[in-house]
Amino acid sequence: MSHSLNEIEAMSKRAARGAGLAWGLAEEAAKGTRWLSAFSFPGVELLAGLLTLNDRLPAVDFSPATLEGCWKAPAGRMSSLIAGAAMSDCAMRMAAGQEIEMENLCFPLLAVPFAGGAALRLGQPVSVSWQGAQFATDGQRLCAQGDRKALLSDRARRVICAAPAEMQGPVAPVQRAEVSVQAWAQLAEFARRTYAPATESSRLLGAGADLDDNE
Amino acid sequence: MSDVQDTRELPALRDPSIVMRLSRLGCFHQSRLSFMRILTRRMKRENWRFDRPVIDIDAAGIGHAVYSAHGPDHSYSLVAFAHDLPAEQRSDRVIAEAWDCTFTLFDGIPTAEDITRLAQNVPLQEAGRVTGAELSVSRANRSVRLWEHMVSSLAAGQQPDADQIEAVGYLMRTTAVYGSGKLGAADREMIAERAEFTAPFQVEMLSVYLTRAFVRDLVQHMANARADGAGKTAAQLGPALARSLGIGNSTGLGMAPFLLNHPVLFSNWVSAREQALQRVRSLAVARPAEIACFQDLFARNRLSVVNWRSEHGAQREKLTALTGDVALIAKRLADRGLAQPYPWDGLYRWSTKVLSVEGQEWLVSLMLEPYGDLVDDLAGELSADNTATFRIAGAMTVARLREVLQQIYGWALDTDWKLPANTARAWYVSEEKLEPRLGQRFEEPIEQYEQPLAPGRDASQLFAALAHWPGETPIAEFLLRHPEHRHSVRRAQIANRAPYAEIRDNTISDTVLPIDMLRCKLAFFGAMHFDPRSDRWVRICMYGNAPYPEELSARDGDFWVYPEQQEG
Repeated sequence: MSHSLNEIEAMSKRAARGAGLAWGLAEEAAKGTRWLSAFSFPGVELLAGLLTLNDRLPAVDFSPATLEGCWKAPAGRMSSLIAGAAMSDCAMRMAAGQEIEMENLCFPLLAVPFAGGAALRLGQPVSVSWQGAQFATDGQRLCAQGDRKALLSDRARRVICAAPAEMQGPVAPVQRAEVSVQAWAQLAEFARRTYAPATESSRLLGAGADLDDNE
Repeated sequence: MSDVQDTRELPALRDPSIVMRLSRLGCFHQSRLSFMRILTRRMKRENWRFDRPVIDIDAAGIGHAVYSAHGPDHSYSLVAFAHDLPAEQRSDRVIAEAWDCTFTLFDGIPTAEDITRLAQNVPLQEAGRVTGAELSVSRANRSVRLWEHMVSSLAAGQQPDADQIEAVGYLMRTTAVYGSGKLGAADREMIAERAEFTAPFQVEMLSVYLTRAFVRDLVQHMANARADGAGKTAAQLGPALARSLGIGNSTGLGMAPFLLNHPVLFSNWVSAREQALQRVRSLAVARPAEIACFQDLFARNRLSVVNWRSEHGAQREKLTALTGDVALIAKRLADRGLAQPYPWDGLYRWSTKVLSVEGQEWLVSLMLEPYGDLVDDLAGELSADNTATFRIAGAMTVARLREVLQQIYGWALDTDWKLPANTARAWYVSEEKLEPRLGQRFEEPIEQYEQPLAPGRDASQLFAALAHWPGETPIAEFLLRHPEHRHSVRRAQIANRAPYAEIRDNTISDTVLPIDMLRCKLAFFGAMHFDPRSDRWVRICMYGNAPYPEELSARDGDFWVYPEQQEG
């Protein structure tokens, strides 16, 4: 079904929060999912996959244990949302010529939007690569090289982020996205957890605006 | 201007700690930079053409119509569906399932196939889907009392009663106007590059503008049909009475978090108005034509205050104060005029000592009126591209972040958040309504569903969490351990660059008035005569007294917001 990017962002934010991510990470997950969708990548499907994998598990288990050396998570597999956010936070290191290396990254494509953010901050393109996949982005456009299976991989053993990168055959974003019904339903189910069940007391306490304007 | 000797310092922009208090934001008024006026000025300046290619509505009021607006580069069409809604189904709640009329703003001129597709979806609103060819989706309900009065009067060959029209102000009120990708419509990014849509909410404002013309025509159509049935001829609604009608709007809690959720955009709105004020205050001399313009609009706006009614206690108090303020301004203008050096700065400084906040902000907006050439370009700065500000600058040190927090959230760091009264409310989204609500934190099981809409409290928690971290540590290291603070770190960094991004008040206290946030947003839309119907929703009227599409070329496209003075 064709969705607007705003719909994708709104749903992704609620879903990521519903799966247990902190609000700040949920916001970034949503922007990233939107960004990937705008380049015709299945951002919603990837997000649904990652949220299902790490559903309500402690974020610290899938976070880089330290930002020194090659980044590894205590649980052995690392969240591309958490590691991606940390990579964007450390953008200045890449400007200084330092590569950021990550190990065992789940759904690595979800980390690529953070490279877009880093590129905007640095004012120069950033590359992200793993076996069979090579991305470069300046934040506005995205170049992807590799076969689709590798690009959409659910695990990358080793991921390298670096700047500056060379933009080869950059692709401009499109403004609509096709989303699989199943992945959308998965996100909706996560999102539902963020809604408070209505109670009789909340109705009595008048939580809503109670618009009744039949004049 | 250089011949005036004055050594005073040029006025600075007003401090965010003064401007961004809820009590002041809740006193904002429409101005030259309001979104409705930006639209009508542009349409007049560019000689937009309007037509009504389709009107297919039966005697029972069921059918559809198309109203098109043609700008220099693009055409847009309001596709309106009129229904026959039983009274018991008429509800303004977001969860309503039927409305008197439903609408979409179509990008271009719709084909018959488009209309067929839209007819299957637009009347369903949230339960339907639209496409990237649609720019907005909206719905409206009748004011039952005024609608019947107008139809029966016109059908009987008489003009409706002006007092009854004035008492309600509108024939239909919108209960939601969705843009920016909602329900599958086009994302703002798809159209933001078009000149007519660079300012915020222009799609929504255009949709409501065309809706008003449709509603006027529909009531005439219904009166004609009723008269036909009785073998009579209906009266044609007089143009002045028609013009006094606006489109009502009921705005509830769903809109309140908008200003918190769009900090960069909100900062741009406030900043544009503050820069405009600064530019006007910096003028050494007011020219006679400018003084005359101000005096004229002062008198007209004074009439508008007289016509502003509300039953809400807080608004009544504000209105009483405003009425007194307007008299004080009139006296000062009579006593001192505006011929002295830096007249606007003098007037503004005087107002801060003498007038209520409602009166101060009323005056601020009015002072901008003579200076379109000086301030209207600021309309180009109202929109926001969040892309660059969204990413956290992880190299910022803990020490620097502490400074930023102290500067922006000083009030919050001084607040005792352990006091139940200071966290008495919580914003959440209910499963039943799927819209933001404001609950009682200590009386309802809602805290685990709380939305991040209490930036002061959250910044205070962030500040406490930073207390034992070395000052030179990059914030990236802190956030690796504390992802729960990413949201607040981002807000602080945004507010550090966008000075008016953050409301400097407690949004979860037992005394918070959501109507302050609603009014502020509606004032930027260009609404007047805010009428809070509780602490949680506001009724307004849009485009009252505005020229209709066919009148725009011959009438004032800008100052229509101010009632014309009666002759004699």
